[in-house]
Amino acid sequence: MEQEIQELQENQVETQVSQATSDGYQVKLEIFEGPLDLLLFLIRKKKIDIHDIPIAVITRDYLEYLEKKDQINLDREAEFLLIAALLIYIKSQMLLPREQEAAREDDPRQILVDRLLEYQKVKIACSLLREKEEDQLQRWRRTFLPPVARPDELDLLEVSLFDLAETFFLILKRKEKENFQIIRGKDISAEEKMKEMVHYLEKHGSMDFLEYFENQETLEEALVSFFCLLELIKNHTVIAVQEQLFQTIRVWLRKTRQPSHPHGSSHE
Amino acid sequence: MNEQLKAILEVLIFISQEPLTISKIKEVLGEIPEEELEEALQSLVADYQQGQRGIQVIKSGGGFIFTTKPEYDQWVRRLLQIEKKTKLSSAALETLSIIAYHQPITQAEISAIRGVDSTYSLKTLLQKKLIKIVGRKKAPGNPLVYRTTEKFLQYFGLNSLDDLPKEEEIAKILEEEKETVS
Repeated sequence: MEQEIQELQENQVETQVSQATSDGYQVKLEIFEGPLDLLLFLIRKKKIDIHDIPIAVITRDYLEYLEKKDQINLDREAEFLLIAALLIYIKSQMLLPREQEAAREDDPRQILVDRLLEYQKVKIACSLLREKEEDQLQRWRRTFLPPVARPDELDLLEVSLFDLAETFFLILKRKEKENFQIIRGKDISAEEKMKEMVHYLEKHGSMDFLEYFENQETLEEALVSFFCLLELIKNHTVIAVQEQLFQTIRVWLRKTRQPSHPHGSSHE
Repeated sequence: MNEQLKAILEVLIFISQEPLTISKIKEVLGEIPEEELEEALQSLVADYQQGQRGIQVIKSGGGFIFTTKPEYDQWVRRLLQIEKKTKLSSAALETLSIIAYHQPITQAEISAIRGVDSTYSLKTLLQKKLIKIVGRKKAPGNPLVYRTTEKFLQYFGLNSLDDLPKEEEIAKILEEEKETVS
């Protein structure tokens, strides 16, 4: 039950009700924070001692409030029904004949009383904190300051797990966008690429393949260019030389009309 | 009274965005006698409290900070053109006070006390950074465990969790209420 109700509104209704002597009011369920809040309200209204609740009376009152609703929204009001069930359960326990000793030891109402007492404490803590909140909201602080220059020292921030998770999802989202761009990258046709490489060789004479490879826009394009290189070697269009392992591959156009090539050691 | 020390403290507090802690002051000033520091701080706080000033030095969130006095709230709001600062909803406040008194605590434990589900309130409080997740409980389902933050203390003007309204204080109010009812 997560109603966002203005405190003001709540106060108004409560004063209205407390001024009343009869039951002629339409009290909306929504003004109560939950079933325990409603129960406490009924107990206070009837001036009942919380340690000695007449279950039958309070159950009747409680159900009356529920009945004022045309229909029960299970999402929002299931908790009210749960407490109604608890009340009826307690009453039935009290009606059952019990051995006297046992009856004295555990009053079936105790479970409810404990919860109500605990909740009552929470309500009072709330009202005290609310006073503090209202007071603090009237005290203003400066919220901005020029940044303090601290060139080489990074501030360690205390972050919670929640912060970390938030950051992680932010990064993930950013990463998703990056991937998205790669997927949208244009289709690379091997044929086009081969033509492009031959043009490059015709223009420049030779090619530093590592450099060419690195200048490709996308990984996909780079890979295609490597396939093309292999293809061009295979169909005797180019000669490729790698002088040492892991070093660049130099590429020349093969001059088919001139079988003897200045660089003899060619790998095909 | 070391007037110069007082002036330095005033400057340090003035320039700090977060409440200025004693340890931070010591870091800046180096070793100074505890008593002397304490005396200067108290005198500074008292000066602002007594004088006809609109601002004051208060101890909040474990340190010292300048704030305006509450009685001048409306003038600040007029300048900044802010109607009223929004307060926490009743549901959020209820959830928050349960966490404050019972921390570390899980969502199920909170909901059991309130008698209602608290998912939404917890979300709001996390967003406002008034509470934080500090781990998981070694219990079935390994539920998340919540605690209040430094910001929580500042928000309510508390210096530490010890400043929360005491059990006796609450009991006294309960007693008074009982009397008015009967």
